[in-house]
Amino acid sequence: MRQIRAEIGAVSKADGSAIFEMGNTKVIAAVYGPREVQNRSQQMSDQTLVRCEYSMANFSTGDRMRKPKGGDRRSTEISLVIRQTVEACILTHLMPRSQIDIYVQVLQADGGTRSACINAATLAFADAGIPMRDLVTSCSVGYLHSTPLLDLNYVEHSAGGPDVTVGILPKLDKVTLLQMDSKLPIDILENVMQLSTEGCKAIANYIREILLENAKQLEYRRGV
Amino acid sequence: MVGLSLGEQCFIEGGIAQDLRCDGRRRLTYRPIHVETGVIPQANGSARVRIGATEVIVSVKAELGKPSLMQPDKGNVSIYIDCSSTAEPAFEGRGADWLSADLSNALQRCLLGAKSGAGAGIDRSSLVVIEGKICWDLYIDGLVISSDGNLLDALGAAIKAALSNTGIPKVQIAAGASSDEQPEVDVSDEEFMQFDTSGVPVIITLTKIGKHYIVDATPEEESQMSSAVSISINRQGHVCGVTKRGGVGIDPTVILQMVSAAKHVSEQLINKLDSEIASAEAEDES
Repeated sequence: MRQIRAEIGAVSKADGSAIFEMGNTKVIAAVYGPREVQNRSQQMSDQTLVRCEYSMANFSTGDRMRKPKGGDRRSTEISLVIRQTVEACILTHLMPRSQIDIYVQVLQADGGTRSACINAATLAFADAGIPMRDLVTSCSVGYLHSTPLLDLNYVEHSAGGPDVTVGILPKLDKVTLLQMDSKLPIDILENVMQLSTEGCKAIANYIREILLENAKQLEYRRGV
Repeated sequence: MVGLSLGEQCFIEGGIAQDLRCDGRRRLTYRPIHVETGVIPQANGSARVRIGATEVIVSVKAELGKPSLMQPDKGNVSIYIDCSSTAEPAFEGRGADWLSADLSNALQRCLLGAKSGAGAGIDRSSLVVIEGKICWDLYIDGLVISSDGNLLDALGAAIKAALSNTGIPKVQIAAGASSDEQPEVDVSDEEFMQFDTSGVPVIITLTKIGKHYIVDATPEEESQMSSAVSISINRQGHVCGVTKRGGVGIDPTVILQMVSAAKHVSEQLINKLDSEIASAEAEDES
């Protein structure tokens, strides 16, 4: 697994925010909410409305890309994936008739952006104080030359082997996200899932340390 | 965007009239500025600038291209700003399009000079490789991560820092190419030419509230403004571009006063920025 680094509270204006780095992939997530629903027709009387937007900066990939901000299909798909993953772990019934917005911006892309986004989102939600069942952590696993590989970067990703992205709730041991492309023999799948679960648990430990550190800082500043 | 009660509005205006703003600053004082360079490793140059809580990242990428027919001895520079939705929920989807376009145009006006290329803050003739055939295209991309007022100044400072961090690769021209063929160029991976930024201006935005003007306005102060003038000034004290925003008219003598106040503030700002950039680069190398 690549080196991970996280920072809480990057955007002071947001209710919660975090920067998450996995190797060269760097992602910033900001949470605004719970707040009043902007679009009355979407309001839900028994739970909160979660909205997500994923976008990549112009300079995030090697070749500079110019693409429409909200329009392209990959962004829409990843926004949907993040939203569903995160909705599964937030206690949405505690905040009815409200809206939570999560905005994820990719600053540097080097493979595993989906996973970095979900990890950043978890940290941002924790920073915002939104009640959750458990942390959601995610990492990607590939299979090249008969070896399962944890946390692929862009070069390994383009090599053409399968790419499995897994998101789990580590304490509850439940899978919330599973996406795979290309082909993989079924007996290898179990190995790959095992590896990804270990990877996710390692990330979860790191996230817990960061949150503990943050809580100690807040305690210190409050003079406790 | 910012909701203020009548009491708060009077407080802001009254405070500014007495040279004391809500966060204790004087009228012509900037918030603390932090500069980090080299934040985007795959770009030719990059910088991240924080003024108070406003945070922007600028990256500079250089690609080989063809110079325009009207100016064969100059390279091309394009500036594009994007406002990320992490800065403001209102920037989601297409919400920030007008602001991004506004900022991009203001920056182009201040840094790139007239259509004929005269009076530009950035020296484009240093970007040419073979006159009329090959030149460097500089793409300057800015991203606003957190918006807490005074975006234009932050972006101007970040562009200056990113350009001082930019290394343009050295190019070897294959000898013996005839004049109408496309010559072969070999882009070096090792050697870089530092971009000359001594002429790059900084942008100072003066916001007029009541009868006085302030520098580096917060969003609360910006919501109370009658008009704002952004002036770009370089190290020599020359004015490189002026942009006026806001609906209320300003007396011409007041504008001249604002320009001279901006010149005065710009000296301090340029010195501060240069020292921050130098220390950021030193940290980057260590």
